[in-house]
Amino acid sequence: MSLLSVKGISKRFGGLTAVDDVSFEVFEGTIKALIGPNGAGKSTLFNLLTGFERPDAGSVAFGGAPLAGKRPHEIVRAGMARTFQNTQLFEEMTATENVLVGMHTTLRTGLMAGALRLPWTRAEERRAIERSAHLLRLVGAQEYADSYAADIPHGVRRLLEIARALATSPRLLLLDEPAAGLNNAETRTLASSLRRIRDDGVTLLVVEHDMGLVMDVSEEIIVLDRGCKIAEGPPLLIQKDAAVIEAYLGEEDVSA
Amino acid sequence: MNSAELLQFVASGLQNGAVYALVALGFTLVYASTGIINFAQGEFFMLGGMLAVAGVRFGLPLPFAVLASVAGTAAIGLLFERVALRPRRDSGPLVLIIITIGGSMVMKSLARHAFGPNELTLPPFSPGDPIVLAGASIDRQVLWIWGLTIVAVIALTFLYSKTKLGRAMRACSLSHDAARLMGIDTARVVMISFGLAAALGALGGVAVAPLTQTAFDVGARAGLKGFAAAILGGLGNPIGAVVGGLVLGILESMSVAFISSTYKDAISLVILLAVLFLRPQGILGKRGREKV
Amino acid sequence: MTGSWMRRIGGFALPLAACCLLAAVPLITNDRYLFKVLTFVGLNVIVVAGLALLFGFAGQISLGHAAFVGIGAYTCGYLTAVAGVPWPIAVLAGSVLAAFGGLLLAVPSLRLKGHYLAMATLGFNEIMSVLFVELRSITGGNDGLRGIPFASIGAWKIDTPSGNYLLVWAVAVVVLVLVGNVIRTRPGRAMRALHGSELGAMASGVDTRGLKIQVFALSAGLAGLAGALYASAVGFISPSTFSLEFSVLLIAMVVVGGTGSLAGPVTACVLLTLLPYADALIPGLSKDAVAVLQDWEADISGFAMILVLLFAPGGVAGLVRRAAAARRTSVREAA
Repeated sequence: MSLLSVKGISKRFGGLTAVDDVSFEVFEGTIKALIGPNGAGKSTLFNLLTGFERPDAGSVAFGGAPLAGKRPHEIVRAGMARTFQNTQLFEEMTATENVLVGMHTTLRTGLMAGALRLPWTRAEERRAIERSAHLLRLVGAQEYADSYAADIPHGVRRLLEIARALATSPRLLLLDEPAAGLNNAETRTLASSLRRIRDDGVTLLVVEHDMGLVMDVSEEIIVLDRGCKIAEGPPLLIQKDAAVIEAYLGEEDVSA
Repeated sequence: MNSAELLQFVASGLQNGAVYALVALGFTLVYASTGIINFAQGEFFMLGGMLAVAGVRFGLPLPFAVLASVAGTAAIGLLFERVALRPRRDSGPLVLIIITIGGSMVMKSLARHAFGPNELTLPPFSPGDPIVLAGASIDRQVLWIWGLTIVAVIALTFLYSKTKLGRAMRACSLSHDAARLMGIDTARVVMISFGLAAALGALGGVAVAPLTQTAFDVGARAGLKGFAAAILGGLGNPIGAVVGGLVLGILESMSVAFISSTYKDAISLVILLAVLFLRPQGILGKRGREKV
Repeated sequence: MTGSWMRRIGGFALPLAACCLLAAVPLITNDRYLFKVLTFVGLNVIVVAGLALLFGFAGQISLGHAAFVGIGAYTCGYLTAVAGVPWPIAVLAGSVLAAFGGLLLAVPSLRLKGHYLAMATLGFNEIMSVLFVELRSITGGNDGLRGIPFASIGAWKIDTPSGNYLLVWAVAVVVLVLVGNVIRTRPGRAMRALHGSELGAMASGVDTRGLKIQVFALSAGLAGLAGALYASAVGFISPSTFSLEFSVLLIAMVVVGGTGSLAGPVTACVLLTLLPYADALIPGLSKDAVAVLQDWEADISGFAMILVLLFAPGGVAGLVRRAAAARRTSVREAA
């Protein structure tokens, strides 16, 4: 079943068309990769899907419902979460607290109830902390639970951001270059984490430059070049696609 | 209201407007080179007037006292940047502006210790009766204000377009990283911007002091109005600062002419808020886009 | 083990001891001047608690909080002195009107960041200063509003200095407890997240616009509450009290105390408020020394603000937190 359905979406900045009439579907329970050379419009597409930018044309439907005009927090509430190419962590908060912020939409404690510390809010808080420990273990960042985000090593910061996104209980998770800055061993761990997340019932759409990881985990790949979709299909076909090889010529070896 | 009266109001509008323009230029210079708003800009205006009064009391001839006060304020501006802002220049804008707020508190308070809490008067630059022009009487000091503003604007234009320093300043206003790659000492440019901004503020303060008196606490109002002028014309745009200052001055004096003098000060505040809320890039500025 | 035990003392026993001490003051002394000074401290604590929430936690600067204090004070003063409205309703009205003012300022300010927000709130403070002078029929203009009755609930009138002191501090303690709870739970975390990374907060499902408006209104409401209490405690209010200088002083308290902390700003607030009234606590202090302190109050606050930002950007609370984190790390490494 199609969880995300994008139809003819476009975005222009001044004279530049960053995303040009792109359509695709993401099916429930799959890992889909979004690749393309630098400046292909991948991050802009992410911003359009998650409400950080408004498309000039086209539509996005999530779980069958249109997302037009929805603001980022409403899209999170609808079940779509994301990470950023430049991690957007809360530096002065601990890893646990970062993940707890991710549970914002699922927790109910408001200003009044929080100020009065009603008994049910304490129980809710306790459960939330347990769940954040579980999520940090899931991505492999448990040993930094009490560290401030500012003090956490670079590779782990990306994992922490994934944990925070998972905390929103998403149906679809959008990851923007999760393997950037990771070494080979860390990338292998990430790959198994991504599969485990998928097996837990979360669909994934991943922007990634590490072709090894892309070919390893994704069931389907969509390729953008200069804002346009130039190919879509399973990894083996994409590797042989002439247009894709053309787009990447001088960039990097697709099969690497 | 007859035409002579109207002319009188226009003249007084242009008088205040020229002073606002000088203060606004100071805001704009600092904003262009650092991207921050200097909340101590109004205090430079105050120091200009106060130091000149102190110079005259000390026995300096008036022209020297005026020059010394502008130079002295510029030195204070340079020093303030070097000591209080440069060590934190990599912090977010909020930290820097709070430092400038602290700086304005300290400058104002030190001025009170040094010069006392009372209003002080500076003698006019050229004594004599007001000049009558088409029925409107214009104080000789007003001519000084206009003249000095014009000289300052011309000098600044020359600096910006014809000198190496000016090119460096323009490069910094576009991108510090790019400027550094071009071999520009950005730290020096930022410091000089503060010095120039202080000198411009002081010039406004010293030029208007013979007409309005001055005191340790005149900085905040002057700073607000100068900022209103700067943002009206588009922050970071020197021409906009001058236009914004003159427009603000005229609007104020027209409000006195046609509405009432009660809310004269509120006019610039309302304009300030209206521009901030509706068109923060200013009337002359282009709409920018925020990048995610 | 010792860490959590010590935290429990710090988080519970210390404030409790402070409360006992505060409550015991009227038993020890009946120095009217001391009560008056401590009443001012309590009022500032209420304002600073709200400002710490807005600025220290949510990262939204306001240079207009004195104006919100003024709105609360004039509303309560006018309603009780002129309109004869019962005191509790007047105090409530003062807080609500100030909160409404905060809402009105917050909505158009949503797009403004950092220094633009600072300028807008500063402009707001100046506009309110003009209005406090010019709306003579309500505010009494530059002469101020006189004859504001003391706090009273029904027939019970709180008309002694010690009574007002206890009233203000009772409210302050309640405010501190409530704000302290807020910052530890979901809404407080969302505020800190907003401060840390607005994009990250949005991506975590935080309605950042709604949150900004909410915390602005709440913070302004607390300032209005303090203003309303001030009006009935002092009986006379005039425009100069609610000037820009007071707004800047309030920001200085939060900056010196430390952003992201409640205890830090409250401590800084107590110290900076007491500074010009040091003779109330130190009986032997000479008049000259007090005069010097009063004369240099603004310089001390201004310098403290600059020095803290230059050498300890997280404020005093930030230093304490970093030290604690460093000790935790070294303990972990040793183990």
